Amino acid sequence: MKPGLVAEVKFAEWTADGNLRAPVFMRLREDKPANQVRVVENERFVPEPADNDSLDYEIDSVLDQLESKKEGFILKVGAHKLSVSNLDKELWPAHGKRRALTKRDFLVYLARVGPYLLPHLRDRPLTLVRYPNGISGSHFYQKHIADKPPEYVDLVPLYSSHNDGDQEYVVCDNLATLLWLGQLADLELHTWYARTSPDPDGHHLFDTFTGSREQIEGSLLNYPDFIVIDLDPYIYSGKEKPGDEPELNKNAFAKTREVAFWLRDILDSLSLSSFVKTTGKTGLHIYVPIYRQLTSDQARAACETIGHFVLQAHPKDITMEWSVEKRTGKILFDHNQNVRGKTLASIYSPRAVPDAAVSMPIAWDDLSGVYPNDFTILTAPDRLDEIGDLWAGILEAKHDIASLLSAAD
Amino acid sequence: MPRSIWKGAVSFGMISIPVKLFGATENKDIAFRQLHEECGSRLKQQRWCATCERTVEFSELTKGFEYAKEQHVVLTDEDFSKLPLPSKHTIELSAFVKAEEIDPVYYERSYYLEPEETGLKPFALLMDALKKKDLTAVAKVAIRNKEQLCALRPHNGRLMLETLFYPDEIRVLDTIDEPEIKITKKELQMAISLIDLMLDKFDPEKYEDEYRGALSQIIEAKLEGAEIAAVPAPKTGKVIDLMAALKASVDAAKDKSTGSPTPKRATRRRKAAAG
Repeated sequence: MKPGLVAEVKFAEWTADGNLRAPVFMRLREDKPANQVRVVENERFVPEPADNDSLDYEIDSVLDQLESKKEGFILKVGAHKLSVSNLDKELWPAHGKRRALTKRDFLVYLARVGPYLLPHLRDRPLTLVRYPNGISGSHFYQKHIADKPPEYVDLVPLYSSHNDGDQEYVVCDNLATLLWLGQLADLELHTWYARTSPDPDGHHLFDTFTGSREQIEGSLLNYPDFIVIDLDPYIYSGKEKPGDEPELNKNAFAKTREVAFWLRDILDSLSLSSFVKTTGKTGLHIYVPIYRQLTSDQARAACETIGHFVLQAHPKDITMEWSVEKRTGKILFDHNQNVRGKTLASIYSPRAVPDAAVSMPIAWDDLSGVYPNDFTILTAPDRLDEIGDLWAGILEAKHDIASLLSAAD
Repeated sequence: MPRSIWKGAVSFGMISIPVKLFGATENKDIAFRQLHEECGSRLKQQRWCATCERTVEFSELTKGFEYAKEQHVVLTDEDFSKLPLPSKHTIELSAFVKAEEIDPVYYERSYYLEPEETGLKPFALLMDALKKKDLTAVAKVAIRNKEQLCALRPHNGRLMLETLFYPDEIRVLDTIDEPEIKITKKELQMAISLIDLMLDKFDPEKYEDEYRGALSQIIEAKLEGAEIAAVPAPKTGKVIDLMAALKASVDAAKDKSTGSPTPKRATRRRKAAAG
């Protein structure tokens, strides 16, 4: 067949087998001769390959050093040095049949999951959640670093509306920083959904984050990589003290899963890919990777609309209410996490819960068979070595949401 | 075969066609009886005279027109018998018009006519002529003590009769000044595109009264003594609607955002692309 006519078509992406996903015919281009039309090589974003050999070597060395029974010493991480201390301090007290987990266990976990975790932390401002005396002690959130951290810790200055001024945020770009966070007993790693790097889809955005609100609003950090859906069950186990948050229980998680599947179907019908992970606590997070075309306000609005849509279909099971009484017995669809500066626990982040569960990505097909505390800082590294990082391709699964939406015109 | 509600003749010019009139539509709403909750008995309505403090029989009734608050002028059967009702048993065709000249707001109820044995031929003739000329006949008919304007048109091999409101019964005949709302070409184009996406043939079979369906299910379940499960909400399948809603919400959030940021170009530093 000899091509004769040229058409302009909007589409979401090329499929793996070279077809168009969600194509919409726009118009005929009589101004373009058919013999000048070429297939542009599909631009795929391949994340910078970590230098795995040297990282593996660093990790092996760190794990060897952590075999030491010493309470504290200078840990060598590649070329960097990190003073570690209180390694026998119990961060997660003994729970059920499991022994107490110490800071040494925590550092071993971070080192082992480093190759899988670091790509998800890279370029993202971090909120620290520090538990200096373990999960039964007091804790505090830390966004800004006042003291000068070690030289291998990357900081990004950015404008903070809260402080009406610029503040330095930590970005965890290397193993040494990850272990330094472990030494600070930053048990949970909460990341922004936006990144400081423009690659590959943010080159139209500014990369100056300081000076003013307007400046950061026009920058990469106001254009998230994901729409995030936070599903939080308010179905109680019955063992909670009055006023306590609901504890993990089978009924609640089963219902949360059901809601997640409804959402997957809705997102599928919009031709949007979705990724699900356990939160490590009671709920599930669903991430929808999108090109950096929406501001955080727009991502939040889109998420809210999706929420109202699923709520309308299942008013008995889902809530978007503020008051805890009205949430009771239902799954909270929380769209309000889609705000610049708000963070969710990263995948593979441990959680400050007695069973030491970690936030774990799950393939949709496997979701029915898993339970949040299947994955702990003791079991997750083996699973990761076995099946790899299920979210490794999340930024490659991005959708051109602007085209999808304009197809609704 | 439904029972005819009226018998008479369609007449125009010299022709008179004996016909029967049938209701063309029926209301399928589920009706309920009012019961006394305590004993479950059906309630009986009684006409109660507050002055005589007794119930009043049907035979004791007369009609009064309230011309002012609590002031009535009484009309007797004799008064009513004096009223002219020329179309009492005739449907006198008075004009033939194009159907589109009758705005749908005029249509009240639908009936259809069938010829009596003796009227078969002229009835068919009238139908064919209307069909050929694509015309609707305007006439008057008296149904249930009311003289009504009506329109006759052939439809699916039947002669339909639709009663029409009189102009003074319609509230929205006057044109009003449309309020000035600014609509951009782009907004209009968006609305038109959305409409185009949903362009369809009118297929009434696609629609059904979901409320009535659910209500009958509950009634049937009750009759069978089964426990009533909550009626499942309709499955979410309105992709186009959701996509349009998403677009609308994303557009609205764009306007809301405080800054169409105008960072100084000079501050712009772009990292070299990876590679």
